[in-house]
Amino acid sequence: MTEAASLSELTPVPEHVPETLVYDFDMFKDPAYRADPHKRVLELIDIAPPVFWTPRNGGHWMLVSHSANFEAARDCEGFSSEVLPYEKMEELLEQMADESGRIPRAYPINLDPPLHGTYRKPLQGVFSPRTINELKGHIRTLAGELLDAVAGSGECEFMAAIAEPLPVKVFLGMLGMPVDKYPEYRALVRAHMDAQASSGASDAIGRLQKVAAAMRDTIEERKDKREDDIISMLWGVEIDGRETTQEDLENYGVLLFIAGLDTVMQGIGLGVRHLAENPDLQQQLREDPSLISNATEELLRRYTFTVPPRRVAKDMEFQGVQMKKDERAMLFLPGADLDPAEYSSPEEFNLKREGAHIAFNAGPHRCLGSHLARIELNILYEELLARLPQFRMDPVRPPSFNCGHVVGVESLHLVWGD
Amino acid sequence: MKIRIDKSACVGNARCWAISDELFPLDEDGYIDIEEFEVPAGKEDLARRGARACPERVITVIEN
Ligand code: HEM
Ligand code: SF4
Repeated sequence: MTEAASLSELTPVPEHVPETLVYDFDMFKDPAYRADPHKRVLELIDIAPPVFWTPRNGGHWMLVSHSANFEAARDCEGFSSEVLPYEKMEELLEQMADESGRIPRAYPINLDPPLHGTYRKPLQGVFSPRTINELKGHIRTLAGELLDAVAGSGECEFMAAIAEPLPVKVFLGMLGMPVDKYPEYRALVRAHMDAQASSGASDAIGRLQKVAAAMRDTIEERKDKREDDIISMLWGVEIDGRETTQEDLENYGVLLFIAGLDTVMQGIGLGVRHLAENPDLQQQLREDPSLISNATEELLRRYTFTVPPRRVAKDMEFQGVQMKKDERAMLFLPGADLDPAEYSSPEEFNLKREGAHIAFNAGPHRCLGSHLARIELNILYEELLARLPQFRMDPVRPPSFNCGHVVGVESLHLVWGD
Repeated sequence: MKIRIDKSACVGNARCWAISDELFPLDEDGYIDIEEFEVPAGKEDLARRGARACPERVITVIEN
């Protein structure tokens, strides 16, 4: 099979989309993008329009510039997070539930204001910097254990050895789930990631049901016997003045699963690849670990990796472009954070860069887990640089990547020592 | 020098707080807990950096 043949089909471009705004880009399969994602992102910024239409994957808008992403992220009336309007979606899910059992809802990530706020508010305290800071010691211990297990071997495939297990272990610990759920959760995360990287139909519902089922016992136990964990905290919050139910807790659990696991993994993968390719940077950070938190931020900007989807909610003109109701639009955040109109020499990794990136998006849906994500990344980099000598990419096994709504690393073979 | 914050538009990034927890206090939920203040002498630079760090751009510096 040739590369071109594996791309998704081309769909006819709608009439209101001028030819000048069409650029052929398959966000799942584009070969150059999959070979080295952010290199291709820089190229896209150079040659594609700041807001363009791609005829791949059914046809959709791509918002590439910083200004387009920043504006769209804050305009929930124009750019809806609901795949279908709420009432229609609920109706559909209820119908499907008759056949396949209850379907968990990942509220609030797929809701628009004001309902979005109703479901987001209870989580805010749970993920505030103060609560999350208390997890630091636990995360450091886990990171240290994983790194020590490979330190003596002189090589590892970093994704399987470190980047995947760490967030899953943090997640289980934080929620208060038993550690023996680990293999089950890792398998579920794997399946979730494989599905993220494909545009085709997948058994998303079955997977979410399994995620919910794996938490059900712990959720029930905590209802009457609270402990020091997030499930217990969520039993204590109120949604719009009412107490939370078993269903709410399962929904929240599913939300955190979808939002907080593969994201951290890919962040780690992309960051560690940059470190492995830049021994001078490793050296600099080992000499002055106080620079690591800046490095974490700059890595997030340089390799921004999520592409949240939106539904155009009404016919409108957006930054001079005519869009029609129910067209799909991707917030291509990797482009936003490499936009030269926003960041000087965006391709340069610059520890001294100031100002904000939008790797966690902006606006009402902005990542709730950003404090946790930052802490996980930061601690992992600190422990990695402290526990391993200079590491580099394995010259015979180059990295491979996955592209989709989350851009990430499939394999990352590192070597160190002589 | 003064800082003014559009509190209603804060989404709780706490990036300002990460620059200075003294100038940019947060509420229990991690949102900004202050709307306007006079920047103490000697803290101007910190205040400017805090404002630049806000991804939502809701912190305005009013230079006298
Ligand atoms: C480096 C890692 C991470 C990145 C880059 C990231 C990125 C994002 C982005 C871009 C969004 C916005 C989605 C949208 O606009 O539709 C988001 C939302 C969200 N994230 Fe994260 N995330 C990360 C880690 C986490 C973690 C560790 C958690 C929690 C355990 C988490 C929980 C959430 C939640 C709950 C939302 C939904 C917020 C809402 O819709 O109001 N994320 N994340
Ligand atoms: S950085 Fe901006 S959005 Fe964040 S807490 Fe401070 S004011 Fe709010």
